[in-house]
Amino acid sequence: MERERHGWKWLLSAPALVVLIAAASGPLLIVAVYSLLSPGEMGGVSWVFSTEAWMRVFMSRDIFEPEIISWNSAHFTVFWRTIWLSMQTTLICAVLGFPTAWFIATRPPASRTLWLFLITIPFWTNLLIRTFAIQELIRNSGTINSILMWTGLIERPIQLLYTDFAVLLGMSYVFLPLMILPLYAAMDKLDFRLVEAGYDLYASRMQVLRHVIIPMVKPGFIAGSILVFIPSIGAYVTPRILGGGRTMMMGNLIGLQFGQGQNWPLGAALSVLLLVIVVGALIFYLRVVNREEGPRHG
Amino acid sequence: MSTEIEITGMGKVFGQGATAFRALSEIDLTIDTGEFFTLLGPSGCGKTTLLRLIAGFEVPSSGSLRINGDEVAGKGPNQRPVNTVFQNYALFPHMSVAQNIGFGLKMQGRPKAEVDATVAEMLALVRMEPMADRKPAEISGGQQQRVALARALAPRPRVLLLDEPLSALDLKLRKEMQSELKRLQTETGITFVFVTHDQEEALTMSDRIAVMKSGKILQLGTPHDIYHAPAERFVADFIGDTNFLDLPVAAINGNRAVLTLPGGKQTTAELPEGMRPVVGETVTTVIRPEQALIVPGPDADLFGVLQDAVFFGTDTHLNLRLEDGQAFTLRRQNTVSDDEPAPGSRLGLRLSAGALRVLRG
Repeated sequence: MERERHGWKWLLSAPALVVLIAAASGPLLIVAVYSLLSPGEMGGVSWVFSTEAWMRVFMSRDIFEPEIISWNSAHFTVFWRTIWLSMQTTLICAVLGFPTAWFIATRPPASRTLWLFLITIPFWTNLLIRTFAIQELIRNSGTINSILMWTGLIERPIQLLYTDFAVLLGMSYVFLPLMILPLYAAMDKLDFRLVEAGYDLYASRMQVLRHVIIPMVKPGFIAGSILVFIPSIGAYVTPRILGGGRTMMMGNLIGLQFGQGQNWPLGAALSVLLLVIVVGALIFYLRVVNREEGPRHG
Repeated sequence: MSTEIEITGMGKVFGQGATAFRALSEIDLTIDTGEFFTLLGPSGCGKTTLLRLIAGFEVPSSGSLRINGDEVAGKGPNQRPVNTVFQNYALFPHMSVAQNIGFGLKMQGRPKAEVDATVAEMLALVRMEPMADRKPAEISGGQQQRVALARALAPRPRVLLLDEPLSALDLKLRKEMQSELKRLQTETGITFVFVTHDQEEALTMSDRIAVMKSGKILQLGTPHDIYHAPAERFVADFIGDTNFLDLPVAAINGNRAVLTLPGGKQTTAELPEGMRPVVGETVTTVIRPEQALIVPGPDADLFGVLQDAVFFGTDTHLNLRLEDGQAFTLRRQNTVSDDEPAPGSRLGLRLSAGALRVLRG
């Protein structure tokens, strides 16, 4: 009797299991299956097994003679740009986020709440609106170019919009709070007597930063880097608006296959590849970070 | 003996305007080289502020601070030949015991061979060799304490500052560390400035003690002076157990006063410098509980009725009421388990010669 009752207990977690299966594993499975099917007439898929989509992820066929296959350099450019821009975004967020978080963590406790509130305000505004605001700032007849031309520093507007720089700027702006918050959480727990101990033992400001503060807030850096890097890899809106068609990232390439391209299997294959890149990067990153930790004692 | 620390008119005010708080009044203080100097006082008396000013963690609002003749008031903690043992040790949790101890030397840019040699020497000095590769979280509180000491001593500072380093330890460990500290101080010859609120700790370890209250130094002297000749009521009360007796002045005889004890007998006591009470005025005197003896009636200076007795093991505290109603506590050593006086019995007391001290004010 006891055993039987125990056996039914898992049912209590059924709602959670249903959500997990339906919302996480289910769609992933569908995407994985779609990547191994043939494209439908007007988008969608036809249920015929094919590895064509996976081949097209890396290779391209000649338009006139489909038998001629070559490396798909356009795709590789997009993959590399995605990884490179995401890494740069993470680095920029870390460099800007560290002093910001430090500033907040060293305010009197009463005003810290206000600063944190100010940091989170952008989250309350639609991403699209914020991105268009950046576009307004950096376009050829936008605020920055107008001011520079008015002051006579430049004669013709500098092309800022639709460049890698624009995408980098937009992503850094959007994801910066995701770096600041975990860094702040780590610094908030930092024992400032350790900083004093560092100074007391003849360390300069830079040495205290390097040998005491940064090792102590490393968990914040790790969490912040993951939180910034993952959404950067999958970014869609920011490169779409600020990069235009010229600076495409993987998110846009995938979007294209499901839209104009009408090649769902290719889109699905690219999505799976994106997931593999994210997981791979995460494992690599955690390995590196933990190796630096050095030998641990029981 | 040369002067190690010379403080002149140094004060510290926190905040400004109406919310300003004077943590330390302008004080003058000199500490000698190789001295074990203790700052003693209740919490909030300014002792930690003074220590932090010497360390360089706080900037003084006024005055000057010289260490070994060099003015350091404008210098940061990393430019002073001073190291601190923090109250909660503040060991770097991400470094091993050996790395913690070597940190100061490494920051000074000493060659690696020298760092390693000094770390080994320090590990031996505090008997922590087997723990060299452990992280601070993996050793006990007493061991962390010793590592903190070794870390602060490794760069061979001129002055070692200790901010209530023993307060987190249990009683037995605290006693051990007290003698350990004293041993390290003697072996290294470094000037120790020790902050504590524990009067017993201060008495047993120090060469000199500064008793502090409300940002001021009330009395400065050897443990013997502070205990036997407290300058003020606060000092007498804060250090050890004390009887306060208000006694009328019967006559003035040079710098000595003839005082009338409860019951009518007279005794003399030295007056503090500059104090000239008039005949008939009442002055406050102090006498320690162990400075009175129970004697047979005819030899007694005064009499008291026993209220209760508190047994402490080595000695017993007898709480008496004197003939004029004042309370008096007498400490009697339990040398033999003789018959204890019963509550209500009338006991004759004799005061040790010269033990009675007149307090200023």
